[in-house]
Amino acid sequence: MFSNVISNSIVIAAITVIVCFIISTLLPGIERKYIHARIQQRIGPILIAPGIMAPIKFMFKENVKVESPVPGLYKILPILCFIVVTCLIIALTPQAFAIPALSSLVAIVGLLKVEEICYVLMGALSKSVMSVRMPFPDQIKGAAHNNVTRSFVEDISSRRSLRMITYGSFPLYLALFAPITQARSIFLPDIVAYQQAHGPILFTVSGAIAAIVFFIGYMIILNEYPFSIIKAKSDVIEGPYMEYAAKYRAIVYLTRGFFMMVLGVLFSVLFLGIPPLITSWSFLINIVVALIFVFMMGIFSAFSPVFTNRQLLPTILGTTLLGVLAVVVGLL
Amino acid sequence: MDEKVPRSNIIETEIPMGTVHPAALEPYRVRFFVEDEIVQEAEITIGVNHRGIERIMEGLPVEKANALTEKICGICSNSHIWNSCRTAEIGLGIEIPERATYIRVIMGELERLHSHFLYLAHGCEVLSHETFSMRIFYLREIVMELLAMIGGNRVQYGCSVLGGVRPRCDVDEAKLLRLKNDMDAVEEGLTGFVERFLADSVVQSRITGVGALPHKQAIKLAVTGPTLRATGVARDLRTTMFEYDNFDFNVITQPDGDVRSNLVMRALESFESIKIIRQAIANIPEGKVVTRDWEMFDTDIIESYIEVPRGTLYHSYALESGRVRHCIIRTPSMANIGAMKYACIGEQLTDAQLCIVQCDPCFTCTDRAIEIIRR
Repeated sequence: MFSNVISNSIVIAAITVIVCFIISTLLPGIERKYIHARIQQRIGPILIAPGIMAPIKFMFKENVKVESPVPGLYKILPILCFIVVTCLIIALTPQAFAIPALSSLVAIVGLLKVEEICYVLMGALSKSVMSVRMPFPDQIKGAAHNNVTRSFVEDISSRRSLRMITYGSFPLYLALFAPITQARSIFLPDIVAYQQAHGPILFTVSGAIAAIVFFIGYMIILNEYPFSIIKAKSDVIEGPYMEYAAKYRAIVYLTRGFFMMVLGVLFSVLFLGIPPLITSWSFLINIVVALIFVFMMGIFSAFSPVFTNRQLLPTILGTTLLGVLAVVVGLL
Repeated sequence: MDEKVPRSNIIETEIPMGTVHPAALEPYRVRFFVEDEIVQEAEITIGVNHRGIERIMEGLPVEKANALTEKICGICSNSHIWNSCRTAEIGLGIEIPERATYIRVIMGELERLHSHFLYLAHGCEVLSHETFSMRIFYLREIVMELLAMIGGNRVQYGCSVLGGVRPRCDVDEAKLLRLKNDMDAVEEGLTGFVERFLADSVVQSRITGVGALPHKQAIKLAVTGPTLRATGVARDLRTTMFEYDNFDFNVITQPDGDVRSNLVMRALESFESIKIIRQAIANIPEGKVVTRDWEMFDTDIIESYIEVPRGTLYHSYALESGRVRHCIIRTPSMANIGAMKYACIGEQLTDAQLCIVQCDPCFTCTDRAIEIIRR
């Protein structure tokens, strides 16, 4: 009997994760076709092209030899990111609420941090042909400064990722902790139970402010315009992802879509008290919330240029202050 | 504004970019010497797309050589063939029919429009503002179609020939009407774009004060064209070209020499181009479009300067038995490289490519220059 319950729970959680993943493959297409392309008055790609067809195409492409001091680690990082995102969605399912170590906000924050650290490592381990390795006679007689340390563009991207870990993603974590101030618990089951008893945190003053902060943090952690300084096309090009080709690039694409879905679900859990459960109609709300975030992000990114430090620092500072305000209001 | 001085003593690292880079449409190598992501010095190197066009032109019949100059640039192809024909016309004393002059002016201004629109779209692309970029590309499309209507192609028009323009490039009433209507559409679209662009506070914060080039420095660096006019110097060769004698237009300037001034300057200059095209449509005289009654003779080296979308274009050659000798072509980007390097100093690394792009580089055309260092 007990083993049946456990196996049923595992099956339901697995199906929930798989359905979330399938839906997530459509999100990049929705963003590009129905938001970016519509705003820019063009037809755009077909819906399944960015999230499904492109990864399938990349799966069957020949991989290129990666120029990295530790190619094995470099290649495994996208897979690690995918595993982290999968662990995140598992942690959000009601079936995982029975495991306190997984269903606490500390675990969620820890997993998100692993994702961010992966960007630092990717940047540090990538040595693409786009900068120093380009076969061009830079250091010759008459050239300026022949004895200066040379950096790859990915090195710059890696340093920016580190900066984003230290202060860039801070607003997102503040927003995650805002529900704790009301539920008085770091465990997801308690936060969900509190909202089922008292109504969604989103509809409180603290929750509404935290939701705005969460959305900005969502764009920051997804490296979306205008916060995409770690992969700004104007200088570091693709940044940490520069040398991923073939199946590794396919995983990068799939992870991004999945991450968009998971962050939407995370919002549903923390601010609406609705965990993802495939057997419940409330699962539709999880999907709608994820879609709303994709739509909002698409609209914001379509009308914003990429930020430099001059715009990024005040924006993050302002958002952080908003996050602090949400926490303080929640405590009061 | 104080002169920006490269601070070589505090360079932390060098970040080379190019010759292939998505922010740079042109093949160039740039080495940024930075300290905490602030550019302290920049070095630009070109030379990867040298095609030796002047060498190929050497000894070619002048008509063939003129046609070849059109291949120098994919953006200002008409300007090259116009100036190349103009060089021979000056040397041989050929008088061009007035209708042909008007058609050349129309083609020149349409090319200026498409070049400036490309510049604005590219600038927005480097800012990573894809929406603005796409919108200006749609406007450019109208202009490209007009160029194709008159020239027969979207890029290589082959419009100018010795003595005027090709008869197939003559403009009849229907073409003039379409030109007039499309200028209205372009003006309306451009007005909307400029209003939106200037009202966008985020975009303005990204471009205002970035890559500033004071006018004193611009003159010192011999900067040319819109990049010079964006620093406040009202210098436009069209005011001295006989082709523009019958046209009334303003020389647009902007005060600051930064990215904003450069973008706004080109947008406002586009309105002047529309004004010139409208005057040409209204006043184009009747008559033939090419004169054939001229004779070939040997000449000394002939020089011709015209104002093209990016600045002053120089063509010179001598004629010997109808063939081209000692050909030299200098495109405006050559003169603007110093400004590009200067504009980067003190700016964020993310803005550095923008500082180069603000000077409207066209290095594929420029890859013909040889710097002679006399010792």
